[in-house]
Amino acid sequence: MKQGVIMKFLIAMLALLAPASAFAANEVALQSAVFVEKAVADSDGRTKLVLEPPRVVVPGDRLVFVLSYHNNGHAPANDFMVTNPLPGSVAYQGTTDPSAQVSVDGGRSWGTLATLKLHDHDGTLRSARPEDVTHVRWAMKRAIPAGAQGKLSFSGVVR
Amino acid sequence: MNRLRKIFAVIGGFSAAALGASPAFALGTASGTVISNSASVTYQIGGVTQPTVNTATPNLVTVDRKVLFTVTEFGGAFTTQVGPGQAVAVTTFQVTNNSNDIIDVGLSATQAGVTAAHGGTDNFDVTGVSLFVDTNGNNIYDAGTDTAITFLDELAVNGSKTVFVVASVPLAQVNGDIAAVALTGQARAGNVAGTQGAILTSTVGANTAGVDTVLADLTGGLTGDVNYDGIYIAKDDYTVQTATLSVVKQSRIVSDPVGNAFPNAKAIPGAIIEYCIQVTNAAGAGAPATSVQLSDNISSLPVTFVTGSNKIDATVSGANCTGGTTGGTNAAGTTNVQGTMTNPLAAGTSVGMYFQVTIN
Repeated sequence: MKQGVIMKFLIAMLALLAPASAFAANEVALQSAVFVEKAVADSDGRTKLVLEPPRVVVPGDRLVFVLSYHNNGHAPANDFMVTNPLPGSVAYQGTTDPSAQVSVDGGRSWGTLATLKLHDHDGTLRSARPEDVTHVRWAMKRAIPAGAQGKLSFSGVVR
Repeated sequence: MNRLRKIFAVIGGFSAAALGASPAFALGTASGTVISNSASVTYQIGGVTQPTVNTATPNLVTVDRKVLFTVTEFGGAFTTQVGPGQAVAVTTFQVTNNSNDIIDVGLSATQAGVTAAHGGTDNFDVTGVSLFVDTNGNNIYDAGTDTAITFLDELAVNGSKTVFVVASVPLAQVNGDIAAVALTGQARAGNVAGTQGAILTSTVGANTAGVDTVLADLTGGLTGDVNYDGIYIAKDDYTVQTATLSVVKQSRIVSDPVGNAFPNAKAIPGAIIEYCIQVTNAAGAGAPATSVQLSDNISSLPVTFVTGSNKIDATVSGANCTGGTTGGTNAAGTTNVQGTMTNPLAAGTSVGMYFQVTIN
């Protein structure tokens, strides 16, 4: 709320200042795509895992979510952080990106899965498991240069 | 900060490896559930925090119907013991829905081509086969309480129902006869109570916007049931367990009017003959015989019943009966001599009834 007020103030200030605003609309674009991992037999009878658009999705299927970002602006973007709340019907499986952090408490606290604990239904404190993850986020160490783009991904299983 | 990141990186790699094993999902997200995913990005330009950017349109994935169910023999893998002429012979099955949707399950019982479930060879058919659902949930068939069905209506997600195959055993069957019965379940569309839904088939071709169907059921291993066919078959059998009785009638001349005793007595008028009726339940018979009743009609013979001579529960000793207690018909002038044995006759044992007559 407080941040919102500051934002509004800043917007007002900047509007007064110059047409070359530090707030160019759509400076950064973020898109999300989802694929389903299917085992497909090739001509030699070997089974391969391929990513397909999610045509038929049933419980137990592994989904791969791909987030594409693009800095369309003219300046590098700092403190770049992408946050993805897990859809309720998806159990987190992991990400290949070691810089990703997860939350098991709705985004209040963050860390790698191995460092997180939570209270079970009976009140005992236990180590967090993948299916406990509520959010995943990536905080970029380096600025995203103008014009740069990249992809982030994580996978989950349909509960 | 950098150092912290490195630590995270190491731990991150570790946990990714630990994620290899997929957890099992028994129940599953209900079919028709929409999974939507959206993400947001926060960043700064020139030290100024910019407005949060959200993904333009959330991804929408509709969870489809995964049909997964089983039909299994219930209550242990053993045959149902029945007797010849048994009017209500019951085998019990359980149908379980592990789909992510309510389904109906069409049911049919078959006997043709079904082999014995628990050893032996199928050699007869039970008659008057009908199916009942365990209405009161006690896993025991209760005539008049459990409802006759041809399909299971609205089988809940993760729900199970017990189904009884109820039939009659022909009176002519003998010990060791086996009748195998298979219960076939076929997945049908649920969600309309009281009506058997259409047979579910896997949606072919492109995904539809709505709920598609994927048949994911496995096979029970019997003919006519393969993986992913929406059909599940289990079998059980009835085995006739009965007493196998044989009867032998022996006689000996106890005495004659000129003073000879067995074995020298002669069959002349006035001689006394002892009849010994022996009944044996064969070794290996499936059940003891209870209330064994013996009768011997002597009306056509030129003999007269010796009043009070009839004994039951006698010990069989070779061709003779010994011991026993006076019982059965014993009145003067009896022409149809009868007696009911007191104790059940176990397999491999014999019992006798004996009485005396005078040659006219």
